[in-house]
Amino acid sequence: MIKIRLRLSRPIWVAAALLASGFALVYSWHVRADQPAQETETYCLSCHNNPDLKTTLPSGEVLPLYISPEELEQSIHSPLGIECQACHTEIKTYPHPQNTYTTRRELSRSYYLSCKKCHSAIYEKAQDSMHAQVAADNPDAPVCTDCHGSHYVHDPNEPRAQISSTCATCHDQVYEQYKGSIHGSALIDEDNPDVPVCTDCHGVHNIHDPRTEQFRIETPELCANCHADAELMAKYGLPANVYDLYKLSWHGVDVSVYKSRWPTIWHDSAVCTDCHGVHDIRKTDDPQSHVNATNLLTTCQKCHPGTSQNWIGAWTGHHEISLERTPWLFYVEAFYSSFTPFVLWGAAIYVLLQILRAIIDRARRSLR
Amino acid sequence: MSEQTEDNAVPSTAIRLEKVFERFTVSQRWEHWVLLLSFVVLLLTGLPQKYRATSWSQQILATPDQVALVQTIHRIAAVVLILEVLYHLGKAIYRMAKRRLPDNIFVTWQDFRDAGQMVAYLLFLRKEKPVFGKYNFEEKVTYWFIFVGIGIMLVSGLILWFPEIIARVLPGGVIPAAKLAHSTEAIVAGIFVVIWHFYHVHFQRLNLSIFSGKINEKDMQSYHALEYERLTGDNTDESGGGQS
Repeated sequence: MIKIRLRLSRPIWVAAALLASGFALVYSWHVRADQPAQETETYCLSCHNNPDLKTTLPSGEVLPLYISPEELEQSIHSPLGIECQACHTEIKTYPHPQNTYTTRRELSRSYYLSCKKCHSAIYEKAQDSMHAQVAADNPDAPVCTDCHGSHYVHDPNEPRAQISSTCATCHDQVYEQYKGSIHGSALIDEDNPDVPVCTDCHGVHNIHDPRTEQFRIETPELCANCHADAELMAKYGLPANVYDLYKLSWHGVDVSVYKSRWPTIWHDSAVCTDCHGVHDIRKTDDPQSHVNATNLLTTCQKCHPGTSQNWIGAWTGHHEISLERTPWLFYVEAFYSSFTPFVLWGAAIYVLLQILRAIIDRARRSLR
Repeated sequence: MSEQTEDNAVPSTAIRLEKVFERFTVSQRWEHWVLLLSFVVLLLTGLPQKYRATSWSQQILATPDQVALVQTIHRIAAVVLILEVLYHLGKAIYRMAKRRLPDNIFVTWQDFRDAGQMVAYLLFLRKEKPVFGKYNFEEKVTYWFIFVGIGIMLVSGLILWFPEIIARVLPGGVIPAAKLAHSTEAIVAGIFVVIWHFYHVHFQRLNLSIFSGKINEKDMQSYHALEYERLTGDNTDESGGGQS
């Protein structure tokens, strides 16, 4: 009987074996080889699926211990077979070992180290960040789970506005400014795929202090990543030569010298954000824009105190020389573009004729 | 150049009385020194500022302090040049008031005719070299080119030195225009002096009269025949290069 059944089902066994190895293959893409397959989830959830499950920490804080099986199912790790014990390595069975954490924060700051096991490169990168630097003195400095979540981890940029609102958890004042800016409003109101979110300028895991001279000196290039991209700018009817024209300007030349020679020395020459604002950048025709004609003098006066209304006429505003916009510059350029070749060619030709005449005269005299 | 050959032909034992004419006064010679030195210092300290993006400039302007130093030197030289210009103009106005301003540096129609004839001579369209007075048209071109050039440099330079004050009086648009004019005029003037002035006073013949104040009879006859005639009452025209 058994013999017959086995014989009959041989193709099924083969199919099952193929299927299993196929699964194993797919599985091994996601789970590192040294990670044994986790089968802890069902076991753990048998208690932790209780919404009322919680404990009180020595600090008096209540630590909820409920895990939603549905949400866990939709998160990124669980469906890949990365289950509870992958992170909760010290909890192997019930009863659990004695809890040693006094506060919820202490717990978070300890457990996030589990991320390092798989995401070591990103962890290392984050160690370089401003957040990691201040973590020694500031327990609220974010760790992985503060931004990504702990049990219910999802794709962080879906939707894209999610990134900026994640940062807003702590940086709420900056977020309020950003929301009103041209970049922020396009992101939040229109889900624009091109405008920068926080991480586009500040970096993702290795977020550096933006108040340093290094960050300042890199600012024009940071903005140029988008604003010198002709294709991208054309999409919004913006000129893509602003960066090139800036580099020719008084400020821009100064900044480029500091960048190439003294990147660690603080400089005061204006970079993009000094005039346009940082998180509150608006369209130039927006009356609230720092570089709108109504506010331009005030903006200039930040560095050039005591200047008069005429002063703003000195600013060529990232425009090519033109009769309409910069008549003085236009006429000076027009003058020199004809005067220079006239004078220099005139002088050169006249002197050349003198030399030739002198040589010919001398040759004639010697042949006489 | 022919007169050089003739000079060499004179036996060394022969006694030869050479008449020497006064060409420039002591104060004019001093003015030239001040002009020359300030011009060179301004050019040397100005060029690295104009070409800040280049590596040679960055060798000179190696630190922010060095930039400040070079700018300070540039401005000191500029003040020296301003004082020279004030002296020059002051003297001219004083002499004008006394009706003793020599008019031989002013451009006349004769200079245009001279220039035309000189070009015709250089192109072999004319046998004789035109004869000139104390200042020939080449020298007048040098003087007036530098005169106007310094005017442009001083005005634009002062605008760049005190832009915030200037913008209280003048439209702001003059500031970037002054920057362009200052930096372009400097190059034009620099190249012009090298081509034009250096050729005429160093290569055509070494003419050191602006330093010595004197000019010898031969040069006087060859290059300033009319002035020679005026001073000596002698109308022998020995414009050397013209004889062929």
